[in-house]
Amino acid sequence: MHPILSRIDRLALYLAVWLSVCALVAGVFTRFGLNWTEALALLVPLFLVYAFVCLSAWYVSRATPLTSGGGSRVLSSSIVAATFASGLWLGVTRGWIAVLSLTAAFAPAAERYTQQLPFLFAIGVLLFMLSLAVHYVLLAFEAAREAERRQLELEILTRDAELRALRAQIDPHFLYNSLNSISALTGSDAPGARRMCLLLGEFLRQTLDVSARQRIPLGDELAMAERYLNIEQVRFGSRLRVERRLDQDASGCLVPPLLLQPLVENAVTHGIARMLEGGLIRLDATRTNGRLAIVIENPCDAEPGGVAARPGGMGLDNVRNRLDAMFGREARMDTRAAAGVFRVELELPCA
Amino acid sequence: MRLRVAIVDDEDLARAVVREYLAAMPDVEVVAECANGFEAVKAVSELQPDLLFLDVQMPKLNGFEVLDLVGRDVAVVFVTAYDQYAIRAFEVHAVDYLLKPFGADRLAAALDRVRERLGRGDTMPVQELAAAAQPRQGHTRRILVRDGPRVHVLPVEKIEYVQAQDDYVCFRCEGKEYLKEQTLGELETVLDPSRFVRIHRSFLLNLDRLARVELDERENRIAVLNDGRRLPISRTGYARLSELLGK
Repeated sequence: MHPILSRIDRLALYLAVWLSVCALVAGVFTRFGLNWTEALALLVPLFLVYAFVCLSAWYVSRATPLTSGGGSRVLSSSIVAATFASGLWLGVTRGWIAVLSLTAAFAPAAERYTQQLPFLFAIGVLLFMLSLAVHYVLLAFEAAREAERRQLELEILTRDAELRALRAQIDPHFLYNSLNSISALTGSDAPGARRMCLLLGEFLRQTLDVSARQRIPLGDELAMAERYLNIEQVRFGSRLRVERRLDQDASGCLVPPLLLQPLVENAVTHGIARMLEGGLIRLDATRTNGRLAIVIENPCDAEPGGVAARPGGMGLDNVRNRLDAMFGREARMDTRAAAGVFRVELELPCA
Repeated sequence: MRLRVAIVDDEDLARAVVREYLAAMPDVEVVAECANGFEAVKAVSELQPDLLFLDVQMPKLNGFEVLDLVGRDVAVVFVTAYDQYAIRAFEVHAVDYLLKPFGADRLAAALDRVRERLGRGDTMPVQELAAAAQPRQGHTRRILVRDGPRVHVLPVEKIEYVQAQDDYVCFRCEGKEYLKEQTLGELETVLDPSRFVRIHRSFLLNLDRLARVELDERENRIAVLNDGRRLPISRTGYARLSELLGK
């Protein structure tokens, strides 16, 4: 529905504007042999009708938005619409003159009315074009507001994802289990316990450091993931094996901090920890033609009735939302479980 | 009283810390260390320990599933880093649990409680505990059956039907039969009711296996399975079946 028709106060204001234009035209007519009564009797009903006809400019402006092509197309469709509307109006005017001529008071003015028809037609075209112009301005205004709203929404989403990433960055169970490992090592392998304390300290410091930054080099992000895997290695021993391949080109790419961390954690908790014999986690990062491609693979339980890897886990959603918020369609994330291997692929721009 | 103990955890270091604490305690003997649930079930069968220290998060068979399989034969103290569902299950049923990381005195206190419980001759409320540990939503996707030291994992879609036999239920699955100490009623609560229907006091049928329903010479309804096997249908069983099949 037209925004003017949907609210009574807007409609009143709109009609008031039209009546003042009507009075103006009536004033002009008084210079061409019509008196005020005759001019207003003709013009007021006609202008009220035309006010509603001109509202159809709303549909024209939407059917041919300014962005849809060249100005010539917009201009030609405007002229066609205006001529058509004014032509219609001319017909109505003729009818109205015929009605007025039936009355004793206005019958003498019929001849002078008909003389004004070309002038009225020109005014009709002009007014419709004006109405179209106003509608285009309104449309542009609306689009700008919509863009602003979307931008705001995106910012909120980004903030939200960051917050969630911060909250998720240190899984308390990871800490409990690590502390339990340290507790075990103190009895049998004091240097090992100290090494574990140092690793844990470095990892925690790094995660806190980078979470305050907007972007970090991929190399740093992977170094952090490696430290995490070193800690888990102490827990899982030979069950956890890691293979890493990082393109020299790719290590300088800037990525949001802690982007990979949830994925690596998933690979351990949903992959390695669920396999009797453990398995291999593969990390692979390459850069080609300004695009960064990252692949993370881990073994998963393929046995029927087993606990399958959940493709929509919390960590994965988190990463997907952050990529969406930051890169939109420029980034992509795919997950796939096949033949006992769970694979996450990320692709994002890296200039 | 001398306690014979098995330690079950998939992490070497987690077992090591329990072993170290226990080494300092008199009257406790570690008879087995198990790296997964299957080994635990085997150890319980072959060595008959008095007590398991049992990790919850383990591959393939988690601690709750192990408890379900062996809980009648052995006392269990859970050891876990995950407090959320552990606490829920234990506070209700007052069985002990240790949250990682824990100290030697906390472990000693757990041993005292176990001794007290064993001295009174109490058994653990295994069924309630296992039920409380079930995921809140969704139905079980596999049935675990213990056969002495071995564990059979039966995916529910491969079960043809289940028959009640005294205190046991007998699962018919890929041409073999598996006995488990359970009632059909308990089993019904964990299986998907749109797949398994109680067609008779003694029979729970996997609908996928039903070929047709026939009448025998005495006008009793008979379920004929895909492999030609015939199972009786009771009057109420037929009503349930009809409702499920939308007739």
